[in-house]
Amino acid sequence: MLSLTAIEKSFGATRAVKSVTLEAAPGTVLGLAGENGAGKSTLIKIVAGVVAPDAGAMSLNAEPIAPRDTNEAIHLGISSVFQELTLVRELTVERNLLLTSAPVTPWGSIDRRKARATVNEILARYKLDIDPAARVGDLPLGAQQMLEILRAVERKPRVLLLDEATSALGASEVEWLADLVARLRDEGAIVLFISHRWDEVTRFCNRVAVLRNGELVSVADTKDVSEDEAVRLMTGQEAVESSFPDKLHSKDAVVLSATDLISRALRGVSVEVRKGEILGLGGLVGQGQGALLESLFGAHALTAGTIAVSGKTLAHLNPRRAIAAGLAYVPQERKTEGLLLAKSVAVNMTYATLGALRSFLGLIDLRAENELVTAAISRAQIRTRGPAEPIHRLSGGNQQKVLLEKWLQTKPAILLLNDVTRGVDIGTKRHIYALTADIAKSGVAVLWYSTDARELVGVVHRVLVMLGGRINAELTGEAVTVDRIVRASVMKEAADA
Amino acid sequence: MRSRLQLGDNWPVLVFIALLAVLIVLKGRFTGFDARSLTVNALPLALIAMGQFLVVLTRGVDLSLGPIASVAGAVMALTVTDHPLLGGLAPIAIGLAAGLINGLFVARLSMPPIIVTLATMSVWQGVALIVLPDPGGAVPAEWGAAVSGGFSSPTMGIVGQLVVIIAGTWLLSSRFGLHLRAIGGDEAAAKMSGVRAVNVKLVAYVLAGGLAGLGGMYLSISTASGSPTVGDGFILSSIAAVVIGGVPLSGGRGTALGVAMGALILTITGSLLYFADVSSFYQSVIDGAILLAVVGSAGARDWLRSIAAVRA
Repeated sequence: MLSLTAIEKSFGATRAVKSVTLEAAPGTVLGLAGENGAGKSTLIKIVAGVVAPDAGAMSLNAEPIAPRDTNEAIHLGISSVFQELTLVRELTVERNLLLTSAPVTPWGSIDRRKARATVNEILARYKLDIDPAARVGDLPLGAQQMLEILRAVERKPRVLLLDEATSALGASEVEWLADLVARLRDEGAIVLFISHRWDEVTRFCNRVAVLRNGELVSVADTKDVSEDEAVRLMTGQEAVESSFPDKLHSKDAVVLSATDLISRALRGVSVEVRKGEILGLGGLVGQGQGALLESLFGAHALTAGTIAVSGKTLAHLNPRRAIAAGLAYVPQERKTEGLLLAKSVAVNMTYATLGALRSFLGLIDLRAENELVTAAISRAQIRTRGPAEPIHRLSGGNQQKVLLEKWLQTKPAILLLNDVTRGVDIGTKRHIYALTADIAKSGVAVLWYSTDARELVGVVHRVLVMLGGRINAELTGEAVTVDRIVRASVMKEAADA
Repeated sequence: MRSRLQLGDNWPVLVFIALLAVLIVLKGRFTGFDARSLTVNALPLALIAMGQFLVVLTRGVDLSLGPIASVAGAVMALTVTDHPLLGGLAPIAIGLAAGLINGLFVARLSMPPIIVTLATMSVWQGVALIVLPDPGGAVPAEWGAAVSGGFSSPTMGIVGQLVVIIAGTWLLSSRFGLHLRAIGGDEAAAKMSGVRAVNVKLVAYVLAGGLAGLGGMYLSISTASGSPTVGDGFILSSIAAVVIGGVPLSGGRGTALGVAMGALILTITGSLLYFADVSSFYQSVIDGAILLAVVGSAGARDWLRSIAAVRA
């Protein structure tokens, strides 16, 4: 039995977790649901030993516990997987899996043959077809996430914490995890599970706890909570309408056209995006979607193919030229590719467009910057204490909104979105959908890659599904359904009708 | 691909062999005495660079290793004649203690290594001058004979180099070595994976200090005296040897063999200039050029590799 009693945690003036008391019996898969800033991540990090609670007590099997770091938590039998991957990308799969438990020879050096055998055995046991000698950084994100999960489960935890652990997984990989979790549950482990996809919560969890603004508002068996009910509990209001804005189709001119793009990850991809359109990009993780977006932005080396904006071919494309041509790109890895984590909200929002804020003597006009940022914060409903707050204090969804706003400042003609709702709660997702729809309505061409088929179905009128570096299917209008997208994600289409 | 990578890791060996060949051609012969001077002269740098290597693996840098060697050597030269045991152990103890101070600031207090070791560098430079204002002291000749062998026999020098290489390789192949590389690769990830990063980094700085102490001791033994500024030349050359040995300053990669080769390469350039009849003033110019060539070729290699990967 894992029990939390009156757990309390504040960050500055914000009370992230307000006196939460919660219990989970062995064999429970407990889903933690709630909007961004609801406190579920903080709560799970307290159990994981990453965040120290201000007050309250925890116990596992009636023994009080207070892990001070992940190491102590691991010794207590608490293993965790976070959305941020914690594998060392520079090292091989084998080194990572055996980082702290590598077999050593009598004279103290690592026994390579034994290590290889151990890793092969582990990978086979988890039915993973991954080369143990591959550098982790060279693997697709989905495979990295599976290794991360494998490593946590391999520690034989009494408590497994999964915080957005499915965010990089494709459909079949989620099934793999579901089987794993079910096995742990049957063996009597406790699993705490955070996901922003409600269908995953119902798929994985037998209990669900809903948090709102740091408070626990409900704990119930999953089967007793309907989707509408869950949304009402999370937001505190009735689910009035569909979470998606009206779909846009566009018959306007083609703004962005790419022809026969070929690279390490792309095998002849052609795309046309129209003015005022949101074109969806779907498929399993790592089928070339990211490479396509990056190549359009000049950040992925192409061996062949042409990219044209409004009919004008762009040669020797690099991000600087792409920005000048009216492109904007919101990357998936917001922490490494998009944000200056130590800097303020204001700096993060304006550093792509500092030229526009230049005043006398080339200094930055701070007052203009402040006005601009304040306006953007209220327009996008970014939850922050102000333009000067360091961005790392914001929740993931709000960071993502800052990034979107940053690129909107450049007044782009074409907006490239790389899975921007990954790890973002439903409420913030809605804001991002509405914001993006407004952007498209104002005449911007949007190309949106999403790993969430339901989201594509909700948002876009036309979807390109990629498989193995090619466009496997183009779905339009009524044909855009979850079934069709998932089908096209995993099965090669015969010349699509 | 695999064989190419292995060649890539071992190229410092090839560079050293090439330079050695040039030296032999210039000089016309290569005697036991030549081999002795090369291996013995390179040994203090090899020891200190090996310490630097452990720190660089964690993505750190230690500017204080040279001055630590100065202090260790000075204390040895002052004490060893009257108290052989004290004189033999004190330099190592001083090195370990100085490394512990660096390690506590860098690992425990998470201060930037370049600032911490810049400060302790200055402190130890001063301490060396306070302890031994002018070059002096003495180390009995038996010590020199024991450590560096006779004047024409290269055996002890070669053995010394081999011991450094083997000990370094062994350390790198242990769990501790794996953890050093993991921390250099991604410290946050290593911590979350259960690596005790603070302790591992602390030990890296302590060992680096200890190796610098050994280096200072060796310098005093081979010159039979102490000098308060003898280590200053090693502040940057220890970093250069690590980089020339194929270790990126971004940490995480590299071999002990490469680092030992880096030390030998930097030592052999001095002899080369002498026999090519070039003023020794040019040595630091040449060393700098080699350093640039190494860093440049690593960049060029990555670039070529990325092109090859796209073409494939």
